[in-house]
Amino acid sequence: MFMVYEACFRGDPGSHVPNYSAKVHFPLNIKGGLCAAVRGTYLCCMSGWDAYLALLRKEILLEWRQRYALGGILLYVCSMVFVVYVAAVRIQPPVWNVLYWLIMLFASINAVVKSFVQESGNRRLYYYQLADPAMVILAKVTYNTLLLLLIGSLALFTFGVVAGNPVKDVRLFALTMILGSIGFSIAFTFIAAIASGANNSATLMAILSFPVVLPMLLTLVRLSAISLRLMQDTAYWRDVLNLLAIDTILITLTFVLFPYVWRD
Amino acid sequence: MWWKISAVVLLLLVFLFGLLVPLYPGLTHAAPDTVAPGASFVLQIQGYNTFFTRAEAPVRVWLVHEGRHVLASGSVQAVDEVTLEARFEVPATMPVPASSLPLDLVVDDRLHGAMFLPNAVRVQSLSGETVAAADSLWRLAEVRDLHRNEDFRFTHIPINYESIRNLYFHVPMWMVMFVLFLLSMWHSVVHLRTSDAIADARAAGYAEVGLLFGMLGLVTGMLWANYTWGAPWSNDIKQLMTAAALLVYLAYFILRASFDEPEKSARIAAVYNIFAFASLVPLIYIVPRIFSSLHPGGEGNPVFNREDLNVNMRLVFYPAVLGWTLLGLWIARLRIRLSILNEQLMDR
Amino acid sequence: MKFFSRRLFLTIVLFHQLYLPEVRAQGSGDFMRETGKIGVVVGVILLIFLGLILYLVRLDRKLTKLEQQINDQHERTH
Repeated sequence: MFMVYEACFRGDPGSHVPNYSAKVHFPLNIKGGLCAAVRGTYLCCMSGWDAYLALLRKEILLEWRQRYALGGILLYVCSMVFVVYVAAVRIQPPVWNVLYWLIMLFASINAVVKSFVQESGNRRLYYYQLADPAMVILAKVTYNTLLLLLIGSLALFTFGVVAGNPVKDVRLFALTMILGSIGFSIAFTFIAAIASGANNSATLMAILSFPVVLPMLLTLVRLSAISLRLMQDTAYWRDVLNLLAIDTILITLTFVLFPYVWRD
Repeated sequence: MWWKISAVVLLLLVFLFGLLVPLYPGLTHAAPDTVAPGASFVLQIQGYNTFFTRAEAPVRVWLVHEGRHVLASGSVQAVDEVTLEARFEVPATMPVPASSLPLDLVVDDRLHGAMFLPNAVRVQSLSGETVAAADSLWRLAEVRDLHRNEDFRFTHIPINYESIRNLYFHVPMWMVMFVLFLLSMWHSVVHLRTSDAIADARAAGYAEVGLLFGMLGLVTGMLWANYTWGAPWSNDIKQLMTAAALLVYLAYFILRASFDEPEKSARIAAVYNIFAFASLVPLIYIVPRIFSSLHPGGEGNPVFNREDLNVNMRLVFYPAVLGWTLLGLWIARLRIRLSILNEQLMDR
Repeated sequence: MKFFSRRLFLTIVLFHQLYLPEVRAQGSGDFMRETGKIGVVVGVILLIFLGLILYLVRLDRKLTKLEQQINDQHERTH
């Protein structure tokens, strides 16, 4: 369990003079790292898991402090569900399947885009000096995965309320949702990182990411169709492995390529 | 320079051979296609590229069920070059208990070789109920000593017939697209490591021409599918995946256009290029295997498998791929030279 | 321009069967079977040829514009 202190260190890690100009919490134990000068405040870079957990905690805290943004996304999900319900009052299981994943897709894009757009350039420079880019992106991906899981559960719940819950194999559906959240999160986070500096960033992110997630989406729809008993397939583990393989490819690519994006 | 000439020469040869080499003789359909047990009927067989009047006796015709139960034809007569008439006596009993029995047609002759028509005739009991099984009458004949046609001809595939030649025109488009996208990714990697603007121009140029060949491939595929699969777009997984690939590269160009500073645009676009290629291309080849392997059947596998490509066809196919690739590289280099000149002019 | 004419061509090619009475909707009617569907191969080759030619024309136009720009620059500095 980390002890969180609102502090940063001047000069060498040996001294513990607190400086309250930092608005972010850091864990106390720094496992060796470089010190960099950022705008007159001396901070120590963190390495490894400390950085990761700190960044993750930062994302969650930031989100909690600006709850309206999170609430906006959740409201978006609920509104989409209601719109769909009003448009097609009786939803048969095959349609339910497709609609659920479409709602997930659009909500995910919005959620991930928002998390990149709200960061300003100065703060990014700050993080760039501090932590390994791999940890930055991993923290963002993890945070987005959790967010998408939340969105997925909410969508499932709301959809269940208005249109019934045809899920028969709950374990498989939960697995599908987890894999889907991970996959969407990786793809959208990376694309958002790429396109956040562009002119039309929100639309651009959607355009860039939809073709990339298309194969993943097809597999997800297929798996959830199996869990809804729309089709019988005892060899669905092949699909699960396929999704895991896609996720692995994507996360490897993200780790390799993100440092180049992070440079500015 | 030599490779441009060889591209043209290869393609000329491919056009000549690809269009002029005839297909093997084969069967197109047979009538009547449903008979009752115990019936005696004359089967009219239509062939394509056949020359039945010049066929060498004996012309043997069999109706086969699952390779084991064989009905041999009593008398075979050639009506004209493409029509053959064979008389059959169907036993009153079925070899296996069934109300409906599909039979494959086999015609063999020394000049034609062995020709097949799967599911040509169906033995259907009139009442619709299962007929007793007694297979003694079905085991009197045997399909053996089939001849092979040794001419230099192309495979005869039902429904496709001559359009099998598209193998030399439609399929290489995808190979060229793949090669060009691979080169584009390679130059993106070079650009990321060295920040060389020429590498970036090359990446964009290869991507553009790759996109061109991809679109040509998709459009020609739709034309071919329209006449063989029945509709230009049949939601086939390979069609979907390649359309997704094209969308990705279209998005690449939009990405390039949406940044204000050229260096940032080039770098971000290079990252997206690598991401898109490395994530999409394996998916194009992995996902169709999942879906087509779980949905076996005629429309599941749009690419001809190894058995359909006989040696003669491969002899023309590999040069075709090489020729089209060289042509694609030529066009891509033209495009790249153009964009480099453009940039040099802008700099001045 | 390129995309428009290709789409137009494609529409004509894919839907011409609708106004040819002897060819049924599936395209595997007697007309096609008689010719052994060599028409499809011809169509494919024509499409590829057309696509490549249109692209080369586009490149040619860009080159011409570039040459004009160079000439203008040349004239302005001399």
